[in-house]
Amino acid sequence: MKKSFQASAISDQRARKLTLDRLRQHPHAPKWRAQGEDRVQADDLAWLDSFSRQLTRSRKGWGPGKPSESVLEWIEKARVTTPYHRARIPSHVRLPEDWHDLPTMTREDVALHPEHMVPDDADLKRMLVYRTAGTTGHAILVPHHARAVASYQPMMEHVLRRYGIRPRFTAQSVACFLICSQRQTVTWAATLSYWKGAGFAKVNLNPSEWPTKESPQKYISELAPQFLTGDPFSYSDLLRLEVPVRPSAMFTTAVAMRPGLKRRLVEQFACPIIDWFSLIETGPIGYACPQGDAYHIMPHDIHVEVLDENEHPVPPGVRGEITVTGGRNPCLPLIRYRTRDWGTLDFTPCSCGDPMPRIIGLEGRTPMNFRTADGSLVNSADLSRILREFPLVQHEFRQKADLTCEITIRPITSVAVDEEQIRTALQKALGNLPIELRQDPELGNELHTGKVISYQSELMVND
Amino acid sequence: MTTEGPTLETLTHRLAECPADFLDEPRIERKGRVDVAAVVADLVRQLGGRAQRSDLDVFRKSDLMKCRSHFRLALVTCWLLGDSWFIGKKRFAVPALRLLSAGIVELASLIHAEKFVSDPDSREELVRLCLRELGLRPAGESEAQALDRLEATNTLERRKVIAATRTAQERTRKVREELARKARAEAEAAAKISRE
Repeated sequence: MKKSFQASAISDQRARKLTLDRLRQHPHAPKWRAQGEDRVQADDLAWLDSFSRQLTRSRKGWGPGKPSESVLEWIEKARVTTPYHRARIPSHVRLPEDWHDLPTMTREDVALHPEHMVPDDADLKRMLVYRTAGTTGHAILVPHHARAVASYQPMMEHVLRRYGIRPRFTAQSVACFLICSQRQTVTWAATLSYWKGAGFAKVNLNPSEWPTKESPQKYISELAPQFLTGDPFSYSDLLRLEVPVRPSAMFTTAVAMRPGLKRRLVEQFACPIIDWFSLIETGPIGYACPQGDAYHIMPHDIHVEVLDENEHPVPPGVRGEITVTGGRNPCLPLIRYRTRDWGTLDFTPCSCGDPMPRIIGLEGRTPMNFRTADGSLVNSADLSRILREFPLVQHEFRQKADLTCEITIRPITSVAVDEEQIRTALQKALGNLPIELRQDPELGNELHTGKVISYQSELMVND
Repeated sequence: MTTEGPTLETLTHRLAECPADFLDEPRIERKGRVDVAAVVADLVRQLGGRAQRSDLDVFRKSDLMKCRSHFRLALVTCWLLGDSWFIGKKRFAVPALRLLSAGIVELASLIHAEKFVSDPDSREELVRLCLRELGLRPAGESEAQALDRLEATNTLERRKVIAATRTAQERTRKVREELARKARAEAEAAAKISRE
């Protein structure tokens, strides 16, 4: 028995290595910009198994009001161990009775004080740091942890099951491709420990990344990932390239997907297109209900509330800012984190059978294309990538019908920015179009939502 | 701290007028002039008790380096507890002996005895410490007020706060460095299977 187990383990390791080689060394493989690893350790696997079970077992409906006992317990620890919360939550605040006296926090707080967000007992050796995709607001450094990153896998698996899909992960299979379509991004291939060593790759459809013009089609179809993740930009490119791939599902993330594109994707790929509401700061928050447009709250270990501009909870059905508490990132405990995404909460039972409340009318991020001086397209993610290199809280970028551009920036408080450097970097991407730049330290303050429209265009390319 | 003691001002004023004899050099290994054990025994008697020989052994130790600051503060504290208010009650011998032999040792290692005479804040600190050890609070203060003031003036607490602040600053520095280092090495981040 023991021998058989050892033989099986060796065989799995070998299969995993072969899968990785297949991903990395395929004749049509793209350029790899990094050595990908999931950084999952043995104790993480046990934790992930337990988390996966809880995702199903702890799934229950809840009404408006205060968080569950387990989230309250989590807050009590975070308010003591996290410098940021220690400094901000008055000692007289008692939970749950003073729940609504807890101050909210925002993206700007994380941007300004990332070092104060990391609890005293967080293991810095295992800390990871991401920059946000920055598709709309401005990029920030987000302290993270491999365990929290890997927790996306059981969550996606759970959602796939909700859609009637039961993927089978083995060391011989390829689980998932993350499809990007950007001028530049970090790409890698890896195997995923939680999914028994199944393969994963993040690929960029930009033609300059591939050996031949046909390589994306050949690579993706021959590796045959069981499902895809990506954003509307990359899926739109996947359509254009007519990649003959047959995934069981496509998760769409990052920005809102317009119905027209979704219809075309379903026609082309014959699989469900699953909207996935997730922020890097919070992790996954919701997934689109298989029977409607609403998003069910995804993990059981977060508390979601909807607040008005005065930080007061709004009644069910009334629109407000989606605010999240809890989660499982040990390096960034969020308490009442205002997401800058808006919607309403519905606590009534859903016919799909998932008892978790639903977010209805989610709005926040809208994708946008711009034209360069020579007429080619540049998407807002590429501009975000450029702008994230500067110390900004948020910005408003607008391209006029005559192609000239305007940008208003709100720098991080008390940090000087080099306007000329920003203008030059943007002009490099937009082909030296004239760009008028101005600074507004209160950008967004006068708006009801506090959230500016980061990208606007007077061109027809977005219609 | 449930019982009201004398006023704070009475005792701090007494400390400020500490006679030079109580600031003199304690006798250790045939050096110094003041026999601390004898002074303590005398005080305990005035407070209504009787110190056993073994109770006083701590004041006969001969390690100059370790004992000098303790003995010097013990002398100043003996002067303070010799106030007529304490003597008149005849019930503070036991806590006073405990305070003199152990309760002031750590404080003595941090602050010179003279400072408890010359410096107003240190005078208040020693008075409050003594009152607490005797189960008293200053006249005219509530228990909560007395506790707040005790914490505010307490050198040991302050040292702990300062040490904790330093530790926190050091941790913040390390976190900041790690964030910057790992942000530069973006490609090192674990393989996240979706975008946000």
